[in-house]
Amino acid sequence: MKILLIEDDPETADHICHALRAHGHEVEESRNGPDGLASARGGQHTALIVDRMLPGLDGLNLVRQLRTEGCQTPVLFLTTMSGIDDRVAGLNVGGDDYLTKPFALAELVARINAITRRGESGPPVTLRAGDLEMDLIRRAVHRGDKPIELQPQEFRLLEYMLRNAGRVVTRSMLLENVWDLHFDPRTNIVETHMSRLRGKMDRGYTRELIHTIRGNGYILRAD
Amino acid sequence: MRIRIFHTEGFRIAAIFVAIFAISAAALAIVTLAVVDQELRSQIVQFANADIGSVKDGYRTQGVREASEVVGQRMASPGASDFFLLQRNGSEKLAGNLPPMQALTGVIEFPHPAAAGRAILGVGAFVAPGLYVFAGSDLRATQMARQRILRTLIWIFAGALALALLGGTIVSRTFLRRTDEIVTTCRAIMAGNLASRISVRGTEDELDRLSETINAMLDRIAALMDNLKQITSDIAHDLRTPVTHLRHRLERARDQSSKVEDYDQALEAAIAASDDILALFSALLRIAQIEGGARRANFAPLDLSGLLTRLGDVFGPVAEDARHHLSLAPGDPVTILGDRELLTQAFSNLIENAILHTPAGTIVTVSLAHRNGEAVVTISDDGPGVPPDEHPKLFQRFYRLEASRTRPGYGLGLPLVAAIAELHGASIAIESQPGRGFAISLRFPGNMDGA
Repeated sequence: MKILLIEDDPETADHICHALRAHGHEVEESRNGPDGLASARGGQHTALIVDRMLPGLDGLNLVRQLRTEGCQTPVLFLTTMSGIDDRVAGLNVGGDDYLTKPFALAELVARINAITRRGESGPPVTLRAGDLEMDLIRRAVHRGDKPIELQPQEFRLLEYMLRNAGRVVTRSMLLENVWDLHFDPRTNIVETHMSRLRGKMDRGYTRELIHTIRGNGYILRAD
Repeated sequence: MRIRIFHTEGFRIAAIFVAIFAISAAALAIVTLAVVDQELRSQIVQFANADIGSVKDGYRTQGVREASEVVGQRMASPGASDFFLLQRNGSEKLAGNLPPMQALTGVIEFPHPAAAGRAILGVGAFVAPGLYVFAGSDLRATQMARQRILRTLIWIFAGALALALLGGTIVSRTFLRRTDEIVTTCRAIMAGNLASRISVRGTEDELDRLSETINAMLDRIAALMDNLKQITSDIAHDLRTPVTHLRHRLERARDQSSKVEDYDQALEAAIAASDDILALFSALLRIAQIEGGARRANFAPLDLSGLLTRLGDVFGPVAEDARHHLSLAPGDPVTILGDRELLTQAFSNLIENAILHTPAGTIVTVSLAHRNGEAVVTISDDGPGVPPDEHPKLFQRFYRLEASRTRPGYGLGLPLVAAIAELHGASIAIESQPGRGFAISLRFPGNMDGA
């Protein structure tokens, strides 16, 4: 994957570059808005990581400009923690996801993987992983021939895991996308629902599909 | 001071009025003079015509002698022309007080033969062939009338100008005095005396309104400043503890670790500790931003009942795992105007409090009720409760009940809920007695029920 990082703070940029390169991604860097815009227009990038505050041209306007020019490259915004309205503003101009500084590098990598998946195919009617099948129209889940009864919250959780099959999803990605919770809860919401879901669709099967990545999140793997 | 007066709005307005008055006074003077002039001239001509008529009558009845006599009588009479001339054959003067002159007929004006600079206006006519008569008056009277009028107007104008200047000065001085007061107060505030306020006279004029507005603004600023001071000192005091702990941990790792695993563990712990500190910062900033009212832009209609039902689904299993029971009474749909994300966080916070701060077996109830047009969300539990004297302190930042000191948290949950409630214009009420459970209610006003 070729990723363009537009970030003016050299330390943050280095930090992110190292992590992405360690995960085998190719990274191109820009240190200000106008350069970043030029690079984004020119290069064929898989994803853009754009800081909100940039010299010359701020991140929001940069992405707005790219989107009006028809550029569809997935965008992950980075911001400082002060801006609580920033997430909505970022998504409104066409950003795909949003990460507040400081963040764990694993979180960044997981989110980059998630947004680059988008647009690979049209919305499927059936999601599959191994012998697990989810029918999105009839809202039914089967594993092999056996039907699995899920609560609405569990269904949404499994749907998100299936849509991101093969990729690590973090706790905060689940909180935001499955439960629409944009804060860090003090209770084990993710663990509780995950454990119930796994109890219904994984436990007792020879091959478990959902795996815990310690200190990182979860992954649904069929192989 | 004297010079500043010329730069005041009051003085400027007075000056504009003086200018307008001067222009209209000049116009009035010109018109009046023209009218008066016209009137006096026509009067002179009228007298002259009457006199000539008399002379003609005299001549017609009794000839030249009588005509001369009539001239003599007329000259002595006060209600007639001043100057007369009766002359024959172009140069022979028969009667009158003018020297012989060219026999011009009709209305004529010529210089006074004796006094330079004066003029005579009158009417000349032939009484009979060769017999010429002229009657006329000195124009001095009209000139004098004109001067009198002009002088009067100048006096009036000068008086008005003086009054306008005086009025402008008084108005400006009053205005200046009051604006000076505002300026002085503002300077005092800038210099650090934040409690100072502009005095309001109670006259409800523009300046009073301005003063009241400035005072209201100052009150708002003062409240924000207090808030800021509070946050700053909170941060200074309460952030020192976790940072100190982090430092201790790192020091210990440096001094006591020998194996790579020890260092790993210490680093993991240090990262977790810094994450906690950052989370604390975020929580403080979030409260500050919500209190600043910056988020009202995200308000949209939302169904409280639907929101609570969803939270019930999310937290039900969590409560169950903690061996609590979450019971939901979401009532009928109620639409209010609010920020979905913030309300979700506020209610989650209260539900989590109820789960985390009560023993196993506690029943937590989330309910929505309509009372007097208000939507009331209540989160209650049948746990150990909180003594009433502690209730107000629960909303202070970093305040933690003795019993919960050992649990993780910073005491920012309820302050955040309070800030979110205030942003929505909702009031908060706590009902709790030791041993009789704990209930916290958010009362949302003016809901768009049934909308």
